[in-house]
Amino acid sequence: MATIIINGTEHTLPEGEKLNAIQAAKLFGHEIPYYCWHPALSVVANCRMCEIEVGSKDPKTGEIKMVPKLVPGCQTPAKDGTVLVTDSEKVSVHQKMIMEYLLINHPLDCPVCDQAGQCGLQDYSYEYGQAAHRFVEERIVNPRKDVSDAIQLNQDRCIMCTRCVRFTREITGSGELNVINRGNHAEIDIFPGQPLDNPLAGNVVDLCPVGALLDKDFLHKQRFWFLSKHDSICTRCSTGCNIAAEENRGQLWRFRARYNPKVNDYWICDEGRSSYKSANEPNLLSAMFARGVAGGGLTQVGVEQATTLAREGLQRMAREGGAIAGILSPFLTVEEAYVMSAYLKGISSSAVLALGPIPSMGSDQTFTPDKIAGRNGDTSFLVPRPFTIHAEKCPNRMGVEAILSHFQGEVIDYAAISARVASGEFRALFVASDAIDPAYMEDDAAKLRRSDFLVVMDTTVTPLARLADVVLAGATFAEKAGSYVNFQGRLQYSEAALPPRDGSLPDLDLLAILSGKGTAPIHSRTILAEVATVVPAFSIVTEGKVPEFGVIIGGTPEPATVGAFPYTDPWLTPRGDHPTESGPNGRKQP
Amino acid sequence: MAAFEPVLSRNWNVPDSHTLPVYESRGGYKASRKALTEMDPDKVVQVVKDSELRGRGGAGFPTGLKWSFLPKDRTQTFMCVNGDESEPATFNNRLLIERDPHQFIEGILIACFATKAATAYVYLRFEYIHAFRIMERAIADAREKGHLGKDIYGSGFDLEVYCHRGAGAYICGEETGLIESLEGKRGWPRIKPPFPAIEGAFRKPTVVNNVETLACVPHIIERGADWFKSIGTPKSYGPKLYCISGHVNKQVCVELPLGVTTNQLIEEHAGGVWKGRKAKAAVPGGISMGLLSAAEFDVPLDFEEIRKPGCLGLGTAAVTVMDETTSMVDYLYNSCRFFAHESCGQCTPCREGTGWLYKMMKRIKAGGGRLEDLDIMDNLAKNMGIMPGTTICGLADGAAWPVRNALAKFRGEIEDYIKTHQAPRYQVTPLQQAIAHGQSPVGSDTPMPDPTRRLPGPDLSTRATAHA
Ligand SMILES: Cc1cc2nc3c(=O)[nH]c(=O)nc-3n(C[C@H](O)[C@H](O)[C@H](O)COP(=O)(O)O)c2cc1C
Ligand code: SF4
Ligand code: SF4
Repeated sequence: MATIIINGTEHTLPEGEKLNAIQAAKLFGHEIPYYCWHPALSVVANCRMCEIEVGSKDPKTGEIKMVPKLVPGCQTPAKDGTVLVTDSEKVSVHQKMIMEYLLINHPLDCPVCDQAGQCGLQDYSYEYGQAAHRFVEERIVNPRKDVSDAIQLNQDRCIMCTRCVRFTREITGSGELNVINRGNHAEIDIFPGQPLDNPLAGNVVDLCPVGALLDKDFLHKQRFWFLSKHDSICTRCSTGCNIAAEENRGQLWRFRARYNPKVNDYWICDEGRSSYKSANEPNLLSAMFARGVAGGGLTQVGVEQATTLAREGLQRMAREGGAIAGILSPFLTVEEAYVMSAYLKGISSSAVLALGPIPSMGSDQTFTPDKIAGRNGDTSFLVPRPFTIHAEKCPNRMGVEAILSHFQGEVIDYAAISARVASGEFRALFVASDAIDPAYMEDDAAKLRRSDFLVVMDTTVTPLARLADVVLAGATFAEKAGSYVNFQGRLQYSEAALPPRDGSLPDLDLLAILSGKGTAPIHSRTILAEVATVVPAFSIVTEGKVPEFGVIIGGTPEPATVGAFPYTDPWLTPRGDHPTESGPNGRKQP
Repeated sequence: MAAFEPVLSRNWNVPDSHTLPVYESRGGYKASRKALTEMDPDKVVQVVKDSELRGRGGAGFPTGLKWSFLPKDRTQTFMCVNGDESEPATFNNRLLIERDPHQFIEGILIACFATKAATAYVYLRFEYIHAFRIMERAIADAREKGHLGKDIYGSGFDLEVYCHRGAGAYICGEETGLIESLEGKRGWPRIKPPFPAIEGAFRKPTVVNNVETLACVPHIIERGADWFKSIGTPKSYGPKLYCISGHVNKQVCVELPLGVTTNQLIEEHAGGVWKGRKAKAAVPGGISMGLLSAAEFDVPLDFEEIRKPGCLGLGTAAVTVMDETTSMVDYLYNSCRFFAHESCGQCTPCREGTGWLYKMMKRIKAGGGRLEDLDIMDNLAKNMGIMPGTTICGLADGAAWPVRNALAKFRGEIEDYIKTHQAPRYQVTPLQQAIAHGQSPVGSDTPMPDPTRRLPGPDLSTRATAHA
């Protein structure tokens, strides 16, 4: 059992983990401030903010010997007998000095800086800095420049932590960024004509502890403190990256990566990052429609009328002995797929359930950072983990399949069901579409229209919706809460970031109304708890509780992960929040 | 002590001393033959250890000990020879290479044999074009004659030597900066551990030694450790090339036993201070080692004694003499400018500190100095470098030491300069002054908020739960 002494108190180190002093201190509730260190990047110890007093305890005599000079915490392994002092006078004088240095050429343009409110310089100035600055010389004003079409670099704000440079070298291996010039004229830059445009480039904005690297898409649009953050899951591919969806005034403003060592580590891809935009589209379905209410065409109807027409239509067909089919989109949450399947099977036990089209683009792209290759500095603390952008561009194929298998023992794919519908086998068809890009183009739509009664639940006006008898306006990915099962079979829970838009209802509520469960909103967690008791594959999610990093369903054991402590950069952790009590994004765990 | 016989520079004045025939005719490559054919690597390491040879590159680290840090089970080792020689006023490596390249190659050969390195890189300062050409030629000649290449002297030992030119950066003389530069990267020193002996060039065990250090090795092998230890002062054995420059009549590089004094160098070898003036101060071993006042000129210049008057170390033993007319403000200004220019920009205290010191000296020199500037300079200088533990490499110590020493030894003079040189154009404005003192710039004496105290208002710690 390894014991570490931090500020005079002994703690037992977790077994099998190689931690540095910063991580160990954080684990036991002490903060060591830092800038350049990042758990996924090699240790270079250049910002010198994390310096502390380090010593060791002799196991035999119990005598403590301290190193006479300050030592960077990022570089100090937490071992048996390690002694750390993080709060001494000497340490705090040093921290003040570093803050004074870092602010020499910093423009202090916080009022117009996107990073304000989540900035390492602001937070540490307040916690560890000093109000007065002894520097009275002329300051250096570094230029602002574009490093790509999407990312701007305000070099004047940069503190030369080189996190961004190390990211492009060590994680993406593309090495677009480098340091030019020397001394206090050093700058981050790209090579001429080679912009920072790899598929993960946007992560440098998340990584930058200050407001130097900026997402032009977000630039000057919102203040950090106005945004409410929601722990969501990206729906752009089957990786299921954890994101913080940031919302204000009923609109999404950006996605940022949220740490999940078992899925996306600290990163998200640029496509996922910009996918928030489709939740803000002005042409989303803003009402329900029904055919034949007044004249032959589709007419706008209220929620109640739309759901009643849909329910009665489907029931009538079933009563008359017609075959019923449902097509479930792989964009549905597990809860939605469950309620929809249960509903259709409830109307007619012979109802056929099928999986909607699986969008796919290109091939899987995997980034495999090595522990050593391409790295600089000390890499002994690293636990490199790959990151994959999947070609399968939907979040929940596995989850919907698991539900379908439960209800009918097999998964009927889209090719099969569309042929069967086209052959006129079904009298009624219920399509839950919900894809970000319309999943059914004109010829698909024409085939699916071969049924007598067609209900479509979607978010945009698609060719299929135009042919439907009842159009139910459902929720976009941002408007619904629920769980998705990613490519690993990992179930993860996604919070809703936006309220339902006017004229629409979350799919789960629509399905609940159809099933006759009343009109009160239902909570996805309640449904998930029910799924866990009814569908054996989901039995691990008892009471609808999904662990922080998700859980593998279907009885496969969770692979062991080393170095998977909750992590958020300290400047993103709300101040006053104790490090040990916080989960991802610094929020307290329930 | 017997009369001192120069060995490192013994060929310097022989005509065509840089050619292989001349070197061989004067007993060259005997030591390497002896080492490779009669000794085993561990034995060579032991002899060098016994000689207590200390590195001549600046830090004075015992060379044999450094070699023995290499892991026993290594499969590949690299030797990097540090010929970056960018310490101002140092030029002994250059003479060693230009005038006697084969002595140097012989040193490399023995050192590589001892450390089992089959590849040696000679990292040469960018400006040493002549030395580079001579080395290229010498390596080719030595290779042709079987002193380098495969199965040298039938011992089964292979060695290739490559010359690599730097690109004009002082920092690439720092051993890990050198390694990074050699690997084709930006010359940013690495953190230690891992030390180069464990993980150096191309992540393989690597030895970095100075040119002069290796030039000593053949002589140690030839004449034995006892001979070496009979020269010099305790803990500082052997001959050393001293470079003397500055305000003296003759700027020279002389080989002397370690431990001569500045006075001896000036009077016996450099022909005295120029223009009949008196000396005021001297840089003891390259500008980064600090400053000796004239009163300290009888301190032996060796690895140990030099620390007593507060200098950083012996450094490169390049003594720069300043006469009584030299202003210490000019000295400090130049020193600070050099380090601000050469800081690699990696560590915050060095990147910002060297620039700050330089700008302060610039202002003081121009006539805008304040007495409090000296306290700030002293404070900055005392907190930057590997000594206080705040930087990765020793450049910051080198930048700090001149400031620390000058302020300790010549503060009165600098204060006088500030008092007598005041030009309103360069002075700090009242606004800057107020801000720097943490006073409200509008003239009231309202103090700025204490950043360590929580501001009044709601307790932000509850905000955390608001989103959950
Ligand atoms: C900023 C800096 C510059 C240095 N420049 C040189 C140099 O130009 N030449 C050199 O031999 N050593 C230089 N050194 C010392 C090397 O880091 C290293 O100690 C030396 O090459 C080791 O060789 P030695 O053991 O033979 O002395 C420098 C050190 C620092 C910190
Ligand atoms: S741009 Fe940001 S991440 Fe990159 S070195 Fe500067 S401060 Fe660090
Ligand atoms: S101390 Fe200075 S020169 Fe050395 S690594 Fe740090 S910034 Fe670079």
